[in-house]
Amino acid sequence: MLGFSHRSLTNFLFWVTQKKWFLVTMMVGLILLFLPTPVGLTLSGYRTIIIVITALLMIITEPIPLPAIAMYILVAEVYFGIGTANEIASSFMNDAVFFIMGSLMLAVAIIKQGWDTRIALGIIKLTGNKTANIVFGFTAISAILSSFIGEHTVAAIMLPIAMTLIRFTSDDVSKVSNLSAVLLFSIAYGCLIGSIGTPSGGGRNAIMITYFRDFGISISYLNWMAKVYPLVLIQIPIVAWILQKSFVPEYTHLDSGVRKLAIQVAKSRKLTGRNTVAAIIFLFVFLGWVFFSETIGLGIIALTGVLCYMIAGFVRWEDLNRNTHWGVIILFGATISLGVNIKATGAAIWLANLVINLFGDLMETFPLFSDSIIVLMTTILANVLSSSATVAVLGPVTLNMGSDALHTGLVTVIASAFGYFTAVAAPACTIVYSSGMVKAKDFLKVGWKVGLMSMVLLVIYANTYWLFIK
Amino acid sequence: MKILIAVGSKEYSAPTLHVGIKVAKAFNASTTIVDVGEKVSEFSTKVVGLTQERMESWDFERPGIDVLEWAFSYLAEKQFIEPQYIEAGFPKNTLVEKDGRRIEVYLKGTVCDDVNLILRNGDIIAELRDEVQTESYDVTIIGGSGKRRMAHDLIQYIDSSIFIVKKFDPDQKYRILLAVDDSPGTRRAVKYGVRVAQAFDIGVDLLTVSKQEQFKEGYKNAADHAAKLMRRSGIEAKNVFEVGDPAKTIVDIAGNHHIIIMGASTRSPLKKFFKGSKPLDVMENCSCPILIVK
Repeated sequence: MLGFSHRSLTNFLFWVTQKKWFLVTMMVGLILLFLPTPVGLTLSGYRTIIIVITALLMIITEPIPLPAIAMYILVAEVYFGIGTANEIASSFMNDAVFFIMGSLMLAVAIIKQGWDTRIALGIIKLTGNKTANIVFGFTAISAILSSFIGEHTVAAIMLPIAMTLIRFTSDDVSKVSNLSAVLLFSIAYGCLIGSIGTPSGGGRNAIMITYFRDFGISISYLNWMAKVYPLVLIQIPIVAWILQKSFVPEYTHLDSGVRKLAIQVAKSRKLTGRNTVAAIIFLFVFLGWVFFSETIGLGIIALTGVLCYMIAGFVRWEDLNRNTHWGVIILFGATISLGVNIKATGAAIWLANLVINLFGDLMETFPLFSDSIIVLMTTILANVLSSSATVAVLGPVTLNMGSDALHTGLVTVIASAFGYFTAVAAPACTIVYSSGMVKAKDFLKVGWKVGLMSMVLLVIYANTYWLFIK
Repeated sequence: MKILIAVGSKEYSAPTLHVGIKVAKAFNASTTIVDVGEKVSEFSTKVVGLTQERMESWDFERPGIDVLEWAFSYLAEKQFIEPQYIEAGFPKNTLVEKDGRRIEVYLKGTVCDDVNLILRNGDIIAELRDEVQTESYDVTIIGGSGKRRMAHDLIQYIDSSIFIVKKFDPDQKYRILLAVDDSPGTRRAVKYGVRVAQAFDIGVDLLTVSKQEQFKEGYKNAADHAAKLMRRSGIEAKNVFEVGDPAKTIVDIAGNHHIIIMGASTRSPLKKFFKGSKPLDVMENCSCPILIVK
């Protein structure tokens, strides 16, 4: 046919099969491009929205590599006349991207230190051998740690501890399937509920702080904690309770598992001076975030920490290079650039008005409805996208949806952590899922309960507690 | 001759491995056993990799290694690998990682030179296609899947003969159902039929299906040639002539007590993509193992 061999036709069809979502996305983009610009929206604003829709479709379906999606966003912004090459380049890089880069590198440096054995010992000492206490302990430790150092780092550290405890409880995994699920979900969900606690808990928090700054709002590290941390603490026991009701553990006490874990931890190498110095460096990074992030920036402090680890020889560049996902960093940079341009072109206000016009009456009648809409939109997107990408593109819109941008911004960033429903949305869930001990459908089975609880709690919390601590 | 056996889990892949090893023995083929693990979201590949490194320091193997270990035990039990390898046990320490997406271990076989165990991660069709293209396998052996898309993609995109071990029961007494017509694929299918019949030590039904009452000369010649080859090879074979829809007739006669062998479709890839093909119809509807020879 037209001189093409069967082999080249097969290769072409295979490409079509593999890239079908890319082709669908381009079709959607082309159709939207030829539709008239909606009333009240500038041409560049409309084109920015088209790039958002097409980029989101590709991030969800991953038909091309993530860095390629980032490149698509950047070149499309220039070709569509949304900004000049230099303008787009400067919107691509800011402190939030530095923070994402720094926190991914810090994760490598910290995970390599082998603090998991110390943490395991700490959990055992705190919780004893009662399963209910252990589940609470795993949820609490995961939440508290991830509120400072990021969910992916904590999930990577906690997973081997939980898996060892499960293995020591029974060699037959089918006999401890509920125990496995409850412990692994306590890590994943603990990490998610904790990641909102402080600005350094996740890249999305840093992105929102950058957006706040553009709105002339400044929020310190401690002020963020004062507003958000109580919600973390309230959710810990509720999540632990829901998990134990959903997956009733086979054992009420884990005597032998805890004893064997304690023996294994005792056998591991003792704390060295090197470990102590590594911990001190992280302590300084943390103090830097608390006291100087408003002036220096979260990202610069994170990178200072990485620099110290490298100078001290605690992590090699080869390890950082190999284990840091540069494609993710480039993509977050591109989505932030998109977020900046959603605001600059007026698309953000137009989209915010669209939502207000749609639900205006309900918003006036029911005061909590506005927050409910933001929470629902963000949660849905966060479960199909990544949470950082959700905040990057949704943040500029929700910040325009109410009179108090700090309120709507914080509601957005907190709801972006509710990626409970799927195994792929949040890194903590993916890490736990990669163990092979929990099934994809389990995330939906328990995720809807935790998700509903978190959503309702957030709306109530934001409209009660925040009124008192303005 | 090179054979690729795709396994997925210890629970469901035993029949595939059982049939695969028998066929590999019959062809004296260089054999590779591959496990394709689930695709990880690109957002989390690095952190998942980092977590697996930590897991290894706590003596946990990365997912998939247990499947290779199980395959190794099976090979050892059947004495398909040399005794020194069996004595040394699963060579976890000699696993070689290539490009971060393919882990392999080489073993020395008893009936052929190479027996490799491979672990890959990603989309199963893309990974198998890449493996077959890079290493030029002649036959890919895989377990049955209920998904129509999967069946279609296997036949359309994997550049080797495909043996789908569907609903295989080791206790069932099978015969081979060899579809014979005047298509170019039949001659090759008959050769494979001889080897598989010898491997399993079973008889062959040579089925020729015509849509018209009058059988074409080419069909009769092909059936005679196949019967002669079977006789020469010492295989008990009988010719069966049926009138009807070829795909439906093959499925009906095969039931659950045959291993179907048929040539691949010679339709253009575009036609196969949009309209399907006879082998695809048979594969989707049959309740027994099927080998489609390319």
